[in-house]
Amino acid sequence: MKEEKMEKTTVCILDDEAIVGDRLKPELEDDGYEVEVFTDSASALARVNETCFDIFITDLKMEGVDGMGFLERVKEKCPESEVIVITGYATMETARESLIKGAYDFIAKPFRIGEIKAAVKKAKKKARRRRQA
Amino acid sequence: MLYLGNALAALKNLLLREKENQVPFSDLFVWFQNILKKNNAAMELIADMGGKMGGEFIFDRKYLSDSVKKLQELVRSSAYDLNYITDNQYLELYGVIEDLAKKLEIELSGKMVIHGAKRIYALNEIEDGMEDLVGFKTYNLSRILNLSGVNIPDSFAVTVGGFRDYMAYNNLFEKIEGSIEECRNGQRSVESVSNSIQLMILGGEIPPELRRQILAAAERISQGKPGSCYFAIRSSGVGEDGDLSFAGLHDSFLNVQFDELLSNYKKVLASLYNQAGLEYRLRMNILSLEMAMPVLYQKMIDSRVAGVLFTLDPNRPDRPESLLSGTWGSGKVVVEGDEGVETFRISRSPPYPVVEQQTNSTPHMPGSLHTGPSEKGSDEPNAGPCLTSKEVPPIMDVGLILERYFKRPLDVEWSIDEGGQLWILQARQLHIPRQKRMEYTELKGATEGHRVLFKDRGMIAYRGIGAGPVWVVDNDHDLTHFPRGGVLVSHYAPPSLAKVIPRASAIITDVGAVTGHMATVAREFRVPTIVGTDVATRLLAANQEVTVDTERNIVYEGLIQELIRHQLLDGPSFEMTREFQLLRRLLKKIAPLSLTDPDDPGFAPKGCQTFHDVMRFVHEKAFRALVQAGKDSRSFLRRGGKRLRSRLPLDLVLIDIGGGLAEGTDKDIYVDPDQITSLPMKAIWKGLSSPDSWNTEPIPVDLKGLMSSLTRTQSAEVMGNTLPSVNLAVLGSNYVNLSLPLGYHFTAVDAAIGSSPENNNISFRFVGGVTDITRRSRRAALLATILEKAGFKVKMNGDLVIARAINLSEELMMEQLYLIGKLIGFARQLDVLLKNDEDVGYYFQKFREQAEKPVERYEGGKNGEDDSLYSG
Repeated sequence: MKEEKMEKTTVCILDDEAIVGDRLKPELEDDGYEVEVFTDSASALARVNETCFDIFITDLKMEGVDGMGFLERVKEKCPESEVIVITGYATMETARESLIKGAYDFIAKPFRIGEIKAAVKKAKKKARRRRQA
Repeated sequence: MLYLGNALAALKNLLLREKENQVPFSDLFVWFQNILKKNNAAMELIADMGGKMGGEFIFDRKYLSDSVKKLQELVRSSAYDLNYITDNQYLELYGVIEDLAKKLEIELSGKMVIHGAKRIYALNEIEDGMEDLVGFKTYNLSRILNLSGVNIPDSFAVTVGGFRDYMAYNNLFEKIEGSIEECRNGQRSVESVSNSIQLMILGGEIPPELRRQILAAAERISQGKPGSCYFAIRSSGVGEDGDLSFAGLHDSFLNVQFDELLSNYKKVLASLYNQAGLEYRLRMNILSLEMAMPVLYQKMIDSRVAGVLFTLDPNRPDRPESLLSGTWGSGKVVVEGDEGVETFRISRSPPYPVVEQQTNSTPHMPGSLHTGPSEKGSDEPNAGPCLTSKEVPPIMDVGLILERYFKRPLDVEWSIDEGGQLWILQARQLHIPRQKRMEYTELKGATEGHRVLFKDRGMIAYRGIGAGPVWVVDNDHDLTHFPRGGVLVSHYAPPSLAKVIPRASAIITDVGAVTGHMATVAREFRVPTIVGTDVATRLLAANQEVTVDTERNIVYEGLIQELIRHQLLDGPSFEMTREFQLLRRLLKKIAPLSLTDPDDPGFAPKGCQTFHDVMRFVHEKAFRALVQAGKDSRSFLRRGGKRLRSRLPLDLVLIDIGGGLAEGTDKDIYVDPDQITSLPMKAIWKGLSSPDSWNTEPIPVDLKGLMSSLTRTQSAEVMGNTLPSVNLAVLGSNYVNLSLPLGYHFTAVDAAIGSSPENNNISFRFVGGVTDITRRSRRAALLATILEKAGFKVKMNGDLVIARAINLSEELMMEQLYLIGKLIGFARQLDVLLKNDEDVGYYFQKFREQAEKPVERYEGGKNGEDDSLYSG
């Protein structure tokens, strides 16, 4: 049997409400992800310039560059990454817009932990398939 | 003449205006429906917020402020609607609503209001979110006050406000700030500044009002014997025991006599600025204005043996063992680390066998304790072990109950008095070095090799990990014998489970809703809970050991220590997040329902303590406004009411506010039961009209019952003081309000039932009867037992029974209403039958047999009556 040490899937969480990252980080870490958390889009973007995470989770409504802008920048810089949009202002319109702009999934806040974990898991599979292709 | 003419015109105007102000009856339906809709929306919001308390959801501040805002709008506009249809009878409501709204907004703004708050709180007066006011030490004790089997000595707290009063009264703030500044810029040493500040504080005077309040509170505790009552006076600093960094920096004093209560208060305050404390604060750059010292006064226990329990070994948190130290006397030796201490390493599993025993060991505890002159017996050597094998299990039991509650390893100070009673003096988070935590919290592979009994079944009502033996609860006997730390497994989730919830390590039910009464109690006590699994009672066997992981929704066979440890040692749990604590505080002002009895004098705007109360009040008064528009059957029939054709001796008038009756019924004055389309009314009627329910044969009244019935008049209390004496059902497609002033009884049912459980609720009220109060109370007891068994939350007062069920599925709610229908018929003449207390048991059994016949259970089908029996 071939033993291959898998590298951890990396996740970047951006939400100006600290609670989202605070609670999500340990949950995803328990599932074996490597997680970084940001509460302002400027520092998250600075980090994106250094490295592409496998998966991004971003809020929509924020000071400065908002989630939609962040999504665009991420898709530009890291086309292979998957982006999951989370928002408390969920409307059909914002959902459609974010999906058109390349978001992988769209989740309304508040959400169940299981719900976002499932979305991250699916995104991970997709990212891996894409990389293998 | 002209004068008279003017007067007549004015009178006519007045009458006309009065008439204009009255909302036409047909419009009342629309308004009432609007109020119902808003009521439903509000209930749904409240249930939604309650559901977020389980830890399953990630929610942010925006969710909280949005929800509160929506709720405020609903409550305000409902109050407006009510005032519109009642010609402004309830203007007082607006003020009540604004007061509540203001309180919620203060919570949301995060500001703590100290001004105006009391300076002294007894433990049971301390509410959620007061940790910054009374300090963590006191706050923790107040949180565990209601846990079953945990005894805490009588205590009170002097708040941060008391501290500030003291500092302000003695002009100390500026002086201290000046001294600290000298320390910061290196002019003076920490030691010298610390000494001079402490002297300043000790030299101050306690403000007269605070003095009076402290002495009065102590007097209450000493119960008129101040000479023989001693106190422990403990620092309960903000941040202390909550955030470990402060732990033990400050002083506590034991065995303080009554006449030294005030001087010791100053000593505890002064210790805020002792050298270690001052150094720490300088290093952390904490400003003096942010420094505060709430103080805990605790009655001393005359202890025979006392000590400390570490629920885990801080150096080997991987072992399923606790460390228990004890010594003769007050326990000061244990905390100070002198000789004569016995330490046991004890297995965390019942019956808690001792794994290892040491004497003269010295478990450390930071900080200093001072004992007063009255320390008794501490110098007298006592031969033999201080703890007997019988005394260990209760200490372990309580320690693990507390640990389950705080979800943290704990350091618990305990004491056993001369009478053998166990007391908890303090409970705080046990410090486990970070490195040890990291070393032993690896989760990977922990569950390997453990059989999954079931997973992803039902809904999580509270997140966490619990483990223990399965205890299936089916009846009162099972409940009474529920073991501490057991996993509670039950088919239903009735509110009656509440009494054992604090003892459970986890709860699993086949049926139930995350927003139901039982789940709310489980969250209150932080017990990991899954409801609605369908399979729990089938797949889990009594006494089987299981681990319930409600974080991942899996039930494993066996006890998985790694999982339990992971919960205890992993980062802060969700309960500690600000958002969660804020939600908890908001819900306290939103969700509890205290207005349950519409005929109670307290059922008034000023009695509304929460938004739920306001909605309940508005609903009830709007309903009454609707039905008061008619005085008797005829007046309702004139306004579009219908008579129900039935063989039952029940002249029931139906008023359809929309969707309650089949189309095409508007021409006829009579309707048949199968023309009822109101979902909840269909279920009630099916129960009410089922063959056994309505015994029409006269029941022999014995002499005592008869005499009583002759002398008894129909008081307002029986009839419901403002309702017309007509058997009346107001129907909507998903709503019913049924009031039956049947003879001497008064029954009322208000129910809303639809596909969304959050909106579903039933309230039932029964009062009155033909005989004396003893018999009527017997009947009330019988009804209460039946309803409780069926999953209702029941309140009883004399012959009044009030029952509520909320948030169950449509199907279950229909079953509940079917049962209520049967009960109405059954209870009608019960009080006459219940000649002695034994009869209660007999008729309870009789009703159960009747209600549980398989064909008799509600099956959602056709109404129970045979068409040919209708008398018209």
